[in-house]
Amino acid sequence: MADKKPMSANAKLRHDRLTFYKNDVDKIDKLLAEFLRLSGAKCALLIDKEGHLVTKRGELRTIDIDTISALVAGSFAATKEMARLLGEEEFTAMFHQGERDNIQLSLVGDRTLLTILFDDRTTVGMVRLYATETAKKLADIHREAQDRGDQDPGLGDGYGTDAKKTLDKLFD
Amino acid sequence: MVQINFALKEVNCKVVFYGPGMSGKTTNLEIVHQKAPEENKGELTSISTDGDRTLFFDFMPLDLGNVAGMRTKFQLYTVPGQVYYNATRKLVLQGVDGVIFVADSDPEKIDENIESYANLIENLTEYGKDIRELPHVIQYNKRDLPNAMPVAELDKRLNKFGVPTFEAVAYTGEGVFPTLKTLAAMVLESIDKIDGRNPRKSVGAKAPAAAAAAPAGRPAPQAAPAGKAPPQARPPAGRPAAPAPAPAGSRGAAPALLRKPVAAAGRPAPAAGRPGHAPAHRRVAATPVTAPPVARKRGGFGVLVALTVLLLVAAAGVAYLFLGNQGG
Repeated sequence: MADKKPMSANAKLRHDRLTFYKNDVDKIDKLLAEFLRLSGAKCALLIDKEGHLVTKRGELRTIDIDTISALVAGSFAATKEMARLLGEEEFTAMFHQGERDNIQLSLVGDRTLLTILFDDRTTVGMVRLYATETAKKLADIHREAQDRGDQDPGLGDGYGTDAKKTLDKLFD
Repeated sequence: MVQINFALKEVNCKVVFYGPGMSGKTTNLEIVHQKAPEENKGELTSISTDGDRTLFFDFMPLDLGNVAGMRTKFQLYTVPGQVYYNATRKLVLQGVDGVIFVADSDPEKIDENIESYANLIENLTEYGKDIRELPHVIQYNKRDLPNAMPVAELDKRLNKFGVPTFEAVAYTGEGVFPTLKTLAAMVLESIDKIDGRNPRKSVGAKAPAAAAAAPAGRPAPQAAPAGKAPPQARPPAGRPAAPAPAPAGSRGAAPALLRKPVAAAGRPAPAAGRPGHAPAHRRVAATPVTAPPVARKRGGFGVLVALTVLLLVAAAGVAYLFLGNQGG
């Protein structure tokens, strides 16, 4: 699939969009569970740079996942701009410290962010150490998935019709 | 960019309300939040200044529910409209799947509308996106202004690409849902269209995609209740448009119009989806990386220690021989 020819608009959209398959997400889940065990963090989320959740592991209590994913992606995007002003391409990690709870963000590959929530049961050093390693392994999984980029099976024949019915139901 | 997650059985799309400052983008989102069914909406989060001007973005998740076995979710964002916040505006546009451009019908704001639309095109270009290929609609807001610019004139000045347009009085709710519904249909149709080219699909699969395309290209005018001026999907500029109805003159007329359908609704839907089709298991990918990093580090350290000990022993041996020779 390594063609150098210019892609059609649809091919480009298909190439650009993020598709996650169950096998890959299972592997990611395993890695995140192992990360939580080693680091003592509470919760690990993998989100894409647009702020959509890919998968999560750990205790989440009442956290609104959609909102935190959007805010994390937003703040990461903002730091990218700051990095650019400093002559860096982007920062690869961020840390927000609270009184008890903290958030550590690590860039994974080009398009996803590892978001870790942890409290005073562990230390930022432990979390960072294992987060760096985990981010590398996650990037490997992404790369493998990307290399199989010709597999996108689409959403099925009924999606368009069903979507329309759903919209009618919701908005009318 | 659309995210399709076969593990969570989710499709996620990003929609951005764009437009000049004070045109009503946040108001649109607030109305969606107020009126959307409880089970479909998440929290509305605003990153704004003390004066309630959007600083970074407003955000709200909207869950459409199950579509052909995939839970389909829209993340709705607004951008800060003020000119000097372009850096943050551009950030919010990253990965966008559809845009609702909220224009101000005040004749004095026409230049700001044009400038903001040009800014949208420019920012999209920086992300390598062509606005002509991005699902987008225009909402002419504040139609209740006594001196609101005629829609035909707004069309002429703003709607360069002949996209669907809507009249709205956002703070009353008028026109908000029809705008969002059409844009949402366009976004979902664009996903379906992409997949329609997938070689795995049967020829018949293209029919629903084509059907879904209809509301995007030519939004059907809706029936207006007597005495009220409804929010309307208008034919794009350049088409033989129906004469513009008088703008909604009174603020009080609006809320009942909220749920008027705008696009051609009720099309017969033949095929049931393929619920739960999970194409995940095609080829098992090679070797997840499992080597524990700490173990690797310990190995390196062990070699270092062994080398140091060897060096020390060798040095001691040499010293012993040297001293022995001197003593002898």
